[in-house]
Amino acid sequence: MKVVEINDVFRTYHDTEVEVKAVNGVTLSFEKGDFAVIVGPSGSGKTTLLNLIGGLDQPTGGEIIVAGHRLSELRPSELIDFRMEHVGFVFQSYNLIPVLTAEENVGFILSLQKWPKEKRKARTQEMLSAVGLSDRHKSRPSQLSGGQQQRVAVARALAARPEFILADEPTANLDSKSAETLLDIMVKLNKDEKMTFIFSTHDIRVMKRARRVITLEDGRVVSDEKVNHR
Amino acid sequence: MKDYQLAWRNLWRNRRRTLITAASVFFAVFFALIMRSFQLGTYEKMYRDVIESYSGYLQLQHVDYMDESNLDNSFVIDPGIISRIEDDPNVTAVIPKLESFALAAAGSRTQAVMVIGMDPDNEIRGLNIRNRLIRYRLTPGAVESLKAENLPGLTPKLLDVFVNESFTDEESLISILGIDRSDTLKILPLLRKYTVFDNGYLTAADTGFAVIGSGLSEYIHAGVGDTLVLMGQGFHGASAAGLYVIKGIVNMSQPEIDNRFVYLTLDDARYLYAAPGMATSAIISVRETDDDNLLMTRDRLREVLGDDLVIRTWKEMNALLLNQMEADNKSGAIMIGILYLVIAFGVFGTVLMMMAERRREFGMLVSIGMRKGKLARTISMEMLLIGLLGVAAGVAGSLPVVFLGYARPLRFTGEMAKMYEDYGFDPVMPMLLPDTYYLWQVVIVLLILLVAIAFSVRKVFKLNVINALRA
Ligand SMILES: Nc1ncnc2c1ncn2[C@@H]1O[C@H](COP(=O)(O)OP(=O)(O)OP(=O)(O)O)[C@@H](O)[C@H]1O
Ligand SMILES: [Mg+2]
Repeated sequence: MKVVEINDVFRTYHDTEVEVKAVNGVTLSFEKGDFAVIVGPSGSGKTTLLNLIGGLDQPTGGEIIVAGHRLSELRPSELIDFRMEHVGFVFQSYNLIPVLTAEENVGFILSLQKWPKEKRKARTQEMLSAVGLSDRHKSRPSQLSGGQQQRVAVARALAARPEFILADEPTANLDSKSAETLLDIMVKLNKDEKMTFIFSTHDIRVMKRARRVITLEDGRVVSDEKVNHR
Repeated sequence: MKDYQLAWRNLWRNRRRTLITAASVFFAVFFALIMRSFQLGTYEKMYRDVIESYSGYLQLQHVDYMDESNLDNSFVIDPGIISRIEDDPNVTAVIPKLESFALAAAGSRTQAVMVIGMDPDNEIRGLNIRNRLIRYRLTPGAVESLKAENLPGLTPKLLDVFVNESFTDEESLISILGIDRSDTLKILPLLRKYTVFDNGYLTAADTGFAVIGSGLSEYIHAGVGDTLVLMGQGFHGASAAGLYVIKGIVNMSQPEIDNRFVYLTLDDARYLYAAPGMATSAIISVRETDDDNLLMTRDRLREVLGDDLVIRTWKEMNALLLNQMEADNKSGAIMIGILYLVIAFGVFGTVLMMMAERRREFGMLVSIGMRKGKLARTISMEMLLIGLLGVAAGVAGSLPVVFLGYARPLRFTGEMAKMYEDYGFDPVMPMLLPDTYYLWQVVIVLLILLVAIAFSVRKVFKLNVINALRA
């Protein structure tokens, strides 16, 4: 089942005097249960592509269909709701609301979706234990390590059962051990919950764990390979 | 997580900034309220002074008297009209008054004065001149004797400053001399012994007596028991002259009045000016003194009066004073405006800083699905809370000060008091109890907040998520 379809998508920036084709004719699709990474040199368009898929940005050409929604047809406020319902985001850093506890951060989207309190609590606990942080549910982000914060972010992204999770260089600020722990958790969630993950990364450790590696260069897909682990 | 919970937590993430911002609002509100209270309280006192010592709340006059205040525009008191006016539910008494100019002389000094003729027994129901009788006076002799008593603190020095001053009550004497409350009991008997001023007052039966203002008394060097010569022009050009023994001296607080004040019985004044049965005005004393009731009373009585007579309110009669106060009021409002402008910039600075600091966070929140409206609501609530915190603290902080300042008006001591008196003001700064002016301060702060909130709401709606995330 196709979760994301990208048809001949362009994203051009005219901000400076030169025109930058950040995404230059990309056609791709992602299946449910994918664990895909997008790699490529700096400036190759990874972040731009992820923003387009997540409905944070609009293509200047082509079309993106996510879970049956043509993103170009959604109004700005509908796009926000679309993201709340269908996309889980994990950013490189500064993912969490500093004044909320880990538990409240994980439950944040659930409360935006108006989940009843009991259900929300149960789901939050479930997610926190899935990322191995049940005992830190009362901690504020400032009291957590960078790796723990990223795990809370993954738990939040997953809590509302989105269509897929977009993560732009989620391990970039982490040491090896924290990065491995985070990857273990994501691989497990991908297996257990059939959750679709789409990453961008420079991190060789992430590439090693991926089952699909898409390589971008100058805004174009130059390779798209399935990887079989053992 | 409710919006207000998030707002409340955000409030305390930068505790110091929140407190500084709230504190700046607090100080603005606090000082503005105290300033207003003093200012409005002072006006109120001035108005009360002219009303009680001179104009009353309402006056019955000849229609032309206000434009040309002379004897030619006087009228004959008609007992029928008077009793019909007294029948009005809001009227308690009608007190005829004959008022004109004269030249007063005692010894070699002369002064143009204002002669007021009224029934002294009746006067108390409309004006309050009797309470202005001088009871204590720091004559040079009294000052010498008091200094010999070795009084504590600054009092001996202050005695020199206030030599020859007069006082209508003990309270002002004590405070002006800087006497400590704890010493009052000890010193009061001494003050009474040396400074009590033997003063008298008119009765309706008196003929040939006058009560004069303390300023006039000083100027013409005439005191109780001295003879005052009045000369002027009576009704229809008759000449007016008379001799009066000064029976009492009053302190009329408004210096323009005090320096020219001569009070006779109504009969003496009518005789002096050859105007039997006449009055230049009649003070109508009333129960309810607010503007609405005064106007209603005036309008009710209109039909009783006929064409020649009108009723004037104190505001009509004191238009000049009201104008002056209005001008002063404007300059006060400008001061407060500047105060608030400074605060507005402070609040705006906080808002700008807060919005810049949290741009990334806002980008993240909108990315993960928080509607911009909801975000804007949370931020607005945050700022409203800071503002209201400041306003509430300012109002709460000012209340005890204002109530204290009302119950125990600030009285100046020493040189400061002397300066006030020399400029013709009572050295007293009464405060006005909370009134609509309180509401205005709150409204102004809310308006400032509203502008700041509108600014940040606009910022939120214009937020470009991608740029915010890259920041
Ligand atoms: N808002 C923007 N305005 C102008 N140019 C932009 C903007 N965002 C991205 N670009 C340009 O688009 C190109 C692709 O940028 P993008 O951020 O997608 O690269 P990336 O692959 O994510 O790089 P990195 O690995 O460094 O994160 C770059 O040349 C970049 O300068
Ligand atoms: Mg990038």
